[in-house]
Amino acid sequence: MEEVWGGRRALHELACHAVVPAMTLAIPVVQALQVLTVLVVAPGINGVIARVETRLQGRRGSRVLQPYYDIAKLFGKEALAPFGTGWVFLAAPLVAMTCYLTVPLLIPVLTTFPLPFGYMGDILGGGFILALASFVIAIAAASTGSPYAQLGASRAKTFSAITEPVVLFVVFTVALVTGTDLPYALAKTVRASADQIVRPAHLLAAAALFMVILFETGRIPVETHTGTNEFGMIEEARSFEHSGPYLALLRWGSTMKQLILFVILINVFIAPWGLASDASLLAVALAILALVGKCALLGVGIAVIDDSFAKLRLFKITEFVSAAFMLAVLSVFTLYFGGG
Amino acid sequence: MASLIAGVAEPPSSFAGLTTALAVLMLVIEFGMLQATLLRAQIRLYAAQSVVISVLAVVVAFARDVPELYGLAAFSVLLKVVAVPLVMFRLLRRTNQEIAGSRALGVASMVLLAVAVAAFGFFASARFQLGSPVLPAAALAVPVAVILVSFVLMIVRRDVASQAIGFFALENGVSLASLVVAAGLPLILEVAFLFDLLVAVVVFGVLIRVHHEQSESLSTEALTELRG
Amino acid sequence: MPAVLLALTVLPLLGVVLSLLPGRWIAPAVSVTIGVACLGLTLTLVPAAAHGPVVLGFLRADAISVVFELGTAFLYATAAVYSVGYLRGEHERADFSRYSGLFWVGLNLFAWSMLCAPLMNGLALLWIAVEITTVVSALLVALDGTRGSAEAAWKYVLIASAGLGIALLATIVMDYAGASVLGPSFDLAFTPLLHAGTALPHPAVQLAFVLAVVGFGTKVGLFPVHTWLPDAHSEAPTPVSAMLSGALLAVSFYAVLRYYQIAATTLGSGFPRGVLLVFGMLSLLLAALYLVEQGNLKRLLAYSSVEHMGILAIGVSFGAPIAFTGVLLHVLAHAAAKSNAFFGAGVLVRAYGTKEIGRIRGGLDRLPWTAPLFLCAILALSAMPPFGLFRSEFQIVAGGLASARYVPAAAMVALVTLAFLGLSMATTRMLFVPRPGGPGAATAPRGEPSAWMVAPMVVGVLALLVLGLHPPDALAALIARGAAELGGAL
Repeated sequence: MEEVWGGRRALHELACHAVVPAMTLAIPVVQALQVLTVLVVAPGINGVIARVETRLQGRRGSRVLQPYYDIAKLFGKEALAPFGTGWVFLAAPLVAMTCYLTVPLLIPVLTTFPLPFGYMGDILGGGFILALASFVIAIAAASTGSPYAQLGASRAKTFSAITEPVVLFVVFTVALVTGTDLPYALAKTVRASADQIVRPAHLLAAAALFMVILFETGRIPVETHTGTNEFGMIEEARSFEHSGPYLALLRWGSTMKQLILFVILINVFIAPWGLASDASLLAVALAILALVGKCALLGVGIAVIDDSFAKLRLFKITEFVSAAFMLAVLSVFTLYFGGG
Repeated sequence: MASLIAGVAEPPSSFAGLTTALAVLMLVIEFGMLQATLLRAQIRLYAAQSVVISVLAVVVAFARDVPELYGLAAFSVLLKVVAVPLVMFRLLRRTNQEIAGSRALGVASMVLLAVAVAAFGFFASARFQLGSPVLPAAALAVPVAVILVSFVLMIVRRDVASQAIGFFALENGVSLASLVVAAGLPLILEVAFLFDLLVAVVVFGVLIRVHHEQSESLSTEALTELRG
Repeated sequence: MPAVLLALTVLPLLGVVLSLLPGRWIAPAVSVTIGVACLGLTLTLVPAAAHGPVVLGFLRADAISVVFELGTAFLYATAAVYSVGYLRGEHERADFSRYSGLFWVGLNLFAWSMLCAPLMNGLALLWIAVEITTVVSALLVALDGTRGSAEAAWKYVLIASAGLGIALLATIVMDYAGASVLGPSFDLAFTPLLHAGTALPHPAVQLAFVLAVVGFGTKVGLFPVHTWLPDAHSEAPTPVSAMLSGALLAVSFYAVLRYYQIAATTLGSGFPRGVLLVFGMLSLLLAALYLVEQGNLKRLLAYSSVEHMGILAIGVSFGAPIAFTGVLLHVLAHAAAKSNAFFGAGVLVRAYGTKEIGRIRGGLDRLPWTAPLFLCAILALSAMPPFGLFRSEFQIVAGGLASARYVPAAAMVALVTLAFLGLSMATTRMLFVPRPGGPGAATAPRGEPSAWMVAPMVVGVLALLVLGLHPPDALAALIARGAAELGGAL
C-alpha cells in the first residue's frame, strides 16, 4: 500500500516537472485531448478494420469514414423504445457513454507522464468502469423482453465470468512487476528496458489480455463482428432494441470501448513508445498521430485474424476464454516462482 | 522518479527471459495438447513442443558455451520432430482413426485441474531450491509442471494414441528438466536416453497396433477386462 | 575374473542372434545352453565378489549386484528349460513358428537386459537397462495375441514407462547433486557418489530418492503403483510370468537399493527408511487382502509377488545388519520359490485349460510330480521351514526386533500370516479337493505334460532347500558382504 502511495506521489512530482517547457499546452487541455482523441478516432479504427477485412476478401469494401456517416445518420432518426421498458433502457446508452469517456482519463493515451486525473483510478478502476458500462447495457437489453437482446446479454455475462478473472490475473502480473497497478507505471517500466517486454510473465499476460480483447470487442474467433446471424451473436445482439440516437450512442460507445482496450494493450503492454514526453503542442500532435497509426496497425492484425480463422461454436468459446485464463495464471506463476 | 522504480521487479536478463519464455511455451503447448480434439493436431503439437526444446538446447549451447548441446539438439530434432511424429502418423493412417477418444472431464474442469496440478508443481519445485548452473530458477519449475500436466493428459484421455503422446510429452518434460539441472550430462548418456525413447516409440506403436487389431478401435473402453 | 562380466553381457546377445537362425531346435538348444552357462558364470563370480567389487570398464559387480545377478541367471536357466516343454503345448497354434521364433528371441533379449542391469556401474546406465527390460517384456506380455494380453501389455508399458520417466527424473536430479560436488565431468558412477557422502546437497538427494522409489517402485510393484503387475503376470506366457516375477521385480528393486545406499550415506538412514517402510507396509497390506479372495491362479501368484516386494522394502527399512542379510537372501529365495510356483501353475493351467482356481480340482491325483512340487513352492512362499524364505523372513523380523521396530515387525508377521491363509486356501482347494464326478472326469489322464516342465521345478525346490537348511559358505560370505555394503561399509 505504501509503495502504491509512493508511486503516486512520484507520479505527481513527475507531472509538475513536465509543465515547465515553453510552447506548451495547459495540462487540462492535454487531459481533454486524451478523451477527445478517443472519442473522435474510435469509429475510424472500426472503419479501418472493416476496410482491410473486405480488401483481404477481395472485395472493395466501404469507406474508412463509413462508421461516422452511420452514426450521423442514426442521430437524425427517430428513437423508439419497446413497450414496457423503463428509464433504465433509455439511460443505459448515456451511462455507458459516460463510462467510456471517463476511462481515457485514467490511462496513458497520449502522454508518458501521468495527467492529474490519472490518479483517480488504477487498472482495476478502469476495468470496473468498463464493466459498469457493459452491465448497464446488459440490464437494458434484459429489460426489453426481446429474446435476441436477452440472449446476447446473458451470453456476454456468462463468458465474462471467466474473462474477468483473467483481467484480474493480468493486473496481478502488472502489480507484481511494478509494485503498483497504475497503468502509467507499467508503461514506464516497459519503456525502461526491452528485457521487460521479453520477460515471460509479461508476454503471457499480454497474450491473455489480447485474447480477452478479442472476446470483449466481439471479434473472430468469438463472434462475427458484422454478421447478421442472431444465433451466433453475443455483443452485437444486445443493442437490437435500441434505435435512433440511442443506438448511435451504443455504436459509438462500442467503438470507443474497442479503442480504449487497444490503447491499454498498446500503450501499457506491448508498445508504449511514441507518446508525448512533455506537453508541447508538437509532441502531443505527434502522439495523436502515433496513436492512430499504432491502433490502425493493431486493427490490421485483428482484421487478418478475422479473415483467417473461423468462428468458434458457442460452447467452444469456453475453451477460448479458459485458454486465456490459463495464460494469465501461468504468467503469475512464472513471476511468483522465479522472477520470470 | 527513484521511488517509482524502487517497487519495480528487476527484469531477468535477456538470456534468462528468453529461456524461461521457451520453457513456458512448452507448458502452453502441453495445455494445447490437453485440449486438442484431433489426434493429428496432438501429434503436431508434440512436434512443436519438441522443436521448442531443441531450440532451447541450442540457445543454452550458444549462451553458456556447452557445445555438446548442439549435438543433442540435432538428435532431438531428428528423433522427436521427425521420427516420432512420422511413426505416429503412419500408425494413424493404418488404424484409420481421426478423433481422439472422449475425455473423462469437461474442458473447463480439465483446465482447472491442470492449472491446479501445474501450480502444485511450481510450489513443490520451489520447495527444493535446486539452483541451476545454466538456467534460471523459473525454468526449473516449468518441467515439473509439464510432467504433471502430461500425467493429467494420460489419465483423462480415453484412447491409446493420446496416452502414448502423453507419455512422449512426459519425456519432453524430463528432457527439459535435464537441460535445466544437468546441462552437463555426458552427451553419450543423453543420446542413449533418446535412443531409448525411440525404442519405446516403436514398442508403443506395436502395442497400439495389437490393441487396434483386438478391439477395432483406439479407445480404452475395451481395456476393462482384467481386474481384481 | 573381469572377463566373466563381459561374457555375462555378451552371451545372451549371442543367444538372441542365434535364435534368429532357422531350424526348430536351434533356438531352444542355444537358449538352454546359454542360460545354464550364464548361471555357471555367475556362480564363479560369487567367491570373487565376496572379497571386493569386480570392475571392467563400465561394468562393475559388487556383492549386492552379484546377489541379484544370481537370482536373474537362475531364472534365465530354469525358464529356458521350462520353455522347451511349454512351447510343445503351443503346437496347435496356427502361427506356431512365428510365435516360437519371437518367443525365443524375446526371452534371450529379456534375460540379457536383466543380466546387464545389476552389472552397470552408474545410475544412468542402470536406468537405461531397466527401461530396456520394460520394452522387451511388454512385447513378451503381448505375445499371446489375445484381448487380455493386449490389454495387459498396454497397461504395463504405459504405467511402467511413466514410472520410469519419473525414475529418469530421479537420475537427473542425482546427476545434479553429484555434479555440484564432483564437477561437471561426473557420469553418475556409484563409488564417487558414495564417497561424496554427506557433501551432496541434501534436498536434491531427498528428492531423487523419493522420485526413485516411486519411479522404479512402479516396476517393483509397490503400492499404489503396482496396478499393472497382476495383469501382466497373469496374461504373459508362463515362463515370462516367472521371469517377470522372480527376476524383473528384483532387478527393479536393485535400482531402489542403489538409491537407498546413496540416500542413506548422505541423509542418514532415518528418511529413506521411513519412506521404504510406508511403501512396503502398504504393499504388504494390499497384497495380503487381495490374496484372500483371489479367483485367478496367476493373479494369486502375482499378488504374492507384491507381498514379497513389500517384505523386501520393509526389510531394508528395518536397517539392522541381520535384516539386510535377510533381504538379500530373500531375493534369491523368492526368485526360486516364485519361479517354481509359476512353473507349477503353468502346468496346472495347461492340464485344466483354465486359470480359474474354482475350476481346478484334484491336482494331486492328476499331476503326480507337479502337484507336490507346486505345493512345496507355495509352502516356501508362505515362509514355511525348511525352505529359504523361512530363513530370510525370520532374519528380517529379527532385524526389526533388533532395531526396536516392534510394531512394524508385528504387523509384518500378522500380514504374512494373512497372506499364508489366502495362498494355502487356494492351493488346498486346487490340489486336495477331489474333482466333482461326472462325465469326462474319469477320462482325464493322469500324468505330466512334459518332463522339461518338471525338471526346473525339481531344481528350484532343491535350491530352496539348500538356501533354507544350509546356504553354502561362499554364498553366505557374499550375502554378509552385501549386507555390510548396504549398511554403509564400502
